[in-house]
Amino acid sequence: MTEQITSMYSWWEFAPSIALVALAIILLMADTFLPKFPKRAYAVAGAVGCFCAAYACWVQASGQYGVSALHTWLPVLPLIACLGCIATGICLLLNIDYHRITCESVNGGQSEEGAGEFSILPLIAAAGICALCNARDIVMLFVGLETVTLSSYVLVGYYRRNQGSIEAGIKYLILGALSTGLLVFGAAWYFGMTGSLSIDINSYLNALSGGPTQAPIIYSGFIAALCFMLAAGLFKIGGAPLHTWIPDVYQGAPTPVSAFLGVASKAAGFAFLIIILQPLSDIAALQSTPEITTYPGGIAFGLAIVAIATLLIGNLGAIPQRNAKRLLGYSSIGQAGFILAFFQGGNCSDCGVLFYLAAYGLATLPAFCAIALVRSQRGSEEISAFRGLARTNPRLAFLITVCFASLAGVPLTFGFLAKLSAIFFICEPQSAIIADWLNWTLLGVMIVCAAAGFYYYFKIIRAMYWEKPLPGDEALKLPVVTGFIITLCAVALLIIGTLPVFNARLFI
Amino acid sequence: MVPLAHYLIFSGILFAIGLAGVIIRRNIIVILMCLEMMLSAANVTLVAFSRARGTEGIPVYDAQVLSLFIVAVAAAEVAIGLALIVAMFRARKSVETTSLNTLKD
Repeated sequence: MTEQITSMYSWWEFAPSIALVALAIILLMADTFLPKFPKRAYAVAGAVGCFCAAYACWVQASGQYGVSALHTWLPVLPLIACLGCIATGICLLLNIDYHRITCESVNGGQSEEGAGEFSILPLIAAAGICALCNARDIVMLFVGLETVTLSSYVLVGYYRRNQGSIEAGIKYLILGALSTGLLVFGAAWYFGMTGSLSIDINSYLNALSGGPTQAPIIYSGFIAALCFMLAAGLFKIGGAPLHTWIPDVYQGAPTPVSAFLGVASKAAGFAFLIIILQPLSDIAALQSTPEITTYPGGIAFGLAIVAIATLLIGNLGAIPQRNAKRLLGYSSIGQAGFILAFFQGGNCSDCGVLFYLAAYGLATLPAFCAIALVRSQRGSEEISAFRGLARTNPRLAFLITVCFASLAGVPLTFGFLAKLSAIFFICEPQSAIIADWLNWTLLGVMIVCAAAGFYYYFKIIRAMYWEKPLPGDEALKLPVVTGFIITLCAVALLIIGTLPVFNARLFI
Repeated sequence: MVPLAHYLIFSGILFAIGLAGVIIRRNIIVILMCLEMMLSAANVTLVAFSRARGTEGIPVYDAQVLSLFIVAVAAAEVAIGLALIVAMFRARKSVETTSLNTLKD
């Protein structure tokens, strides 16, 4: 088995994970033995480490770019790892500005004691994301996913003087452990049906080759195993039947952690789905007979139904929200529905998932930064707390407007291109692996939900521009790092969004 | 020699009891126990399959390695869960899910 592992993986692939864990251990040691050392430094060191790991993932990705026997492909998985590392780094940068709040919520603000791990645990989670994206067998997949999840449990419940944070932590733990149970039960059956733990086209063919008539037990057992494992992936991204934790956890968790869950952890969930589903796509592409070009066992049908339900629940749920973090929670469910639409094509590691994730992450991170800013200076995360920002901080209000406009999908922003690519993807008839009527229903739901997005994202923009500031409201003081992140992301959203105006061929 | 099907039926029942417990019970400690039961069910399945898939009496050890990882992760999960439950009990004097009512629509 040792030879098998060394031939399957190379050390170089795990360099980012190993480096991140080493950094985390060094910082944990420093936290224990150098109690006088300022804790903000850990966040800085962690962020630098995350960006270096992101660069390493980028280098790995550029080494893998190429053309396989089946199609031209982008190395989507290393790029998702890169995205996860960048998002984790940005969440750590947020910790620098809101370090005082962390100290207050952990020990009442007298000292910095116990605030160090808050900046160290995200590193371990990022290492888990990198390992997950390189996984080619169930053990690595499981360990990577659990590394992300277990560190997230602690981070969500970290503000122990805050009732909401503990409640969110417990809700996340119970539902997360439930999805772990589904994952390992599915993994056990996967092993039983295929006879190996590696995730590749051969193991899938082993189990599926008999088909539902010749080897019904193996076939249906394998489909059940896949469904169990897919359920665990859907939990991570907030897919329809397993989305219930998202609004509560996003609302209760510390804001940098909500941002982490919204972007990095969700990216890990999509990487998980791609790893599980890619062999199915490859099998479908290999078969020449038309009746087997779809996923077996109604998996494609189920995914389409899940995508429709996710879109509807996320967008309808967001409409009545008054709490901005909760609104972003529902919005993240809705956006995940759009990304799930990319799984309806014949090839799920298409770069559409990555494109949409990048657009979503680039807009969601500054949105959470803005909420953290308003929360720390106006004491509320209700949408009404954004009132009159256009009068008091006109430039900040414009940048926040860009972010929410991109989430809604206003033309000339990155978000518009992402929504457009999802809708075009569904319109292409040859890519469809589901029945026509279902494909068109999905398209209709996507268009309606994109329209609904305009309503609820613009509630925040409306509060900033149409509502007058109350007499006591002063201008918000913009901390350096938060200001830098918001500006950078908003400018990037605008630049990428306007690129097709100058060169339309870039995106065709 | 006990046939494979018996192990699978046993682990399936164990998994179902765990799942039902997580859904029905209101005490968070009991819920954690039920979650552990689901993980144990997966372990039983894995070990049974590793025996059944083996050749000449030697099991496939890959699956047993995975079940060791599952045990380790389950232990970490319980440690975090109990810590959160202690924090919750200090704040609310209760470990029932019905008292988790701060965050809602």
